[in-house]
Amino acid sequence: MSDRLGRIWAIALNTLREAVRNRVLAVLFVFAVALMAFSVVLGELSLNEEVRVMKDLGLAGTSLVGTVIALFLGVNLLSKELDRKTVYFVIPKPLHRWEFLVGKFFGLAGTMVLLVLLMSLILSAFVVAQGGQHGWTMIRAEILIALELVLLCAVALFFSSFSSPYLSAMFTACLWIIGRNTVELASLAEKFADTPLAWVLQGIARAVPDFHLFYVSGATLERGGATVSVHETFVSWIYVGQAALYAAGYTGICLIAATILFARRDFT
Amino acid sequence: MAVVEVSELRKTYLRGFWRTRTPVLHGIDLSVAAGEVFGFLGPNGAGKTTTIKILMGLVFPTSGAARVLGRPAGDRDAKQRLGYLPENPYFYDYLSALELLDMVGRLHGMDAASRRRRSHELVERVGLAHAARRPLRSFSKGMMQRAGLAQALMGRPELVVLDEPMSGLDPLGRKEVRDLILELRREGTTVFFSTHILSDATMLCDRVAIIVRGTIRDVGPLGELLSPAVQSVEVVWDAPAEALEELRRHPGEHTATAEGQVLRTTDAAVAQAFVRAVVAAGGEVLQLQRHRQSLEELFVSEAREGAGA
Repeated sequence: MSDRLGRIWAIALNTLREAVRNRVLAVLFVFAVALMAFSVVLGELSLNEEVRVMKDLGLAGTSLVGTVIALFLGVNLLSKELDRKTVYFVIPKPLHRWEFLVGKFFGLAGTMVLLVLLMSLILSAFVVAQGGQHGWTMIRAEILIALELVLLCAVALFFSSFSSPYLSAMFTACLWIIGRNTVELASLAEKFADTPLAWVLQGIARAVPDFHLFYVSGATLERGGATVSVHETFVSWIYVGQAALYAAGYTGICLIAATILFARRDFT
Repeated sequence: MAVVEVSELRKTYLRGFWRTRTPVLHGIDLSVAAGEVFGFLGPNGAGKTTTIKILMGLVFPTSGAARVLGRPAGDRDAKQRLGYLPENPYFYDYLSALELLDMVGRLHGMDAASRRRRSHELVERVGLAHAARRPLRSFSKGMMQRAGLAQALMGRPELVVLDEPMSGLDPLGRKEVRDLILELRREGTTVFFSTHILSDATMLCDRVAIIVRGTIRDVGPLGELLSPAVQSVEVVWDAPAEALEELRRHPGEHTATAEGQVLRTTDAAVAQAFVRAVVAAGGEVLQLQRHRQSLEELFVSEAREGAGA
């Protein structure tokens, strides 16, 4: 491992360790598992749709808890270092500031991927116990959730590189809500076609991260016009690959912007 | 070669919504030679920590230059060769001391075997072997300071920068830190430390700089900064009852204490004449002490001058 990668890995490993030892996260994780367990009860109330209810609730729980954790950890990632004054210890160590920031991000992204992986394993155990199959469709949906969470972390990290955790949380949550509703935003822009408002709405829809891309269950996709869900038709591996490229690109932009802001910051 | 070199260093913070300018450093100059223990003294708010933060790359100067180990302050290669203990250190409290040292070792590019060996060696050296696997959140202030010293030494630094290393330590802890600094000096490591505890500086430093309100008031070896002239002489004496009154009429300030009669005078010749008179009267000189300027007096006078400037 090169020296540079070794330094980034040291920071990432530490960030991962911090998340794993965080009790709040453990509680949220238990909540997600409890939600899956509750889906067994709800499944019993449905008519022969136990597996369907479990898959729906499992994915929703993974996405919801993951989003809360990504938001909570992402906006606190840098501010906690400043509040707890650990930044005074780590910045004078032999590493570049950008290496610190990238290490923090990879640690957090790794935490999110681990979280989704663990919850997917638990969900698959529940599904199999109910006589269902987890399958590739579910795996693709879970990969998309992981990609969404990684992107959300990058957006939160960008805001936290220059603003307080409260403001960062507010900005990130707003972008997430808008990003989840880009289709609605685009159709709203169509209603006001040829007006300045349409341009503004189209601009916003293009600039904000397209979180809708990663949560396709029940969505009507642009190409083909099909409604997809994990129970019927679902997106292809090519779609997942394109979503991954989009997430990587947007994450890269957020990281570069955060690095530039972080590089000249005084730690008083 | 200068290990730390600072010239015309200025720092102005912009604070609050209206970006109010708060000047903290007013063009300071400093030079620390290899192998010396350099004390950076000043009252609270004088600019010690800001100067150190600039040297460590935590804060950027408004103007002027700061070089560490021949490189610009904050340079990664310079940071590879230095160790730093922040004031009131805070570390990742979910880590144990050994995990903290392992992380620092990774940042210094050490391999796994070296990290393990050096970590164990350091926890022994700073007296934390018994608590090496406990999370740092359970550490007392003194233990945290020791962990801080251990992490500063992890990369076998040529320069160790310590910001108020004795702060919050009990007398035993302070002695241990003093011993460690002396040990580092014997090993040839340059030590730059800030303090407002003057007795520590007196005991440890080859040279000191006194900073007051962002301006260096004095730099040099303690012996040169302190005035060698005798400032006052104190004679503790006793004599037969019939001679007491006569002897007390000699010039100077007379007091009676549990130790005996005391004469304090700023004139050495007066003290000598008085000693001869005591002996002639059949009395006894119990103690004679020349009083020279202490670092504390120098510090206070510089601080007062700085405040008046």
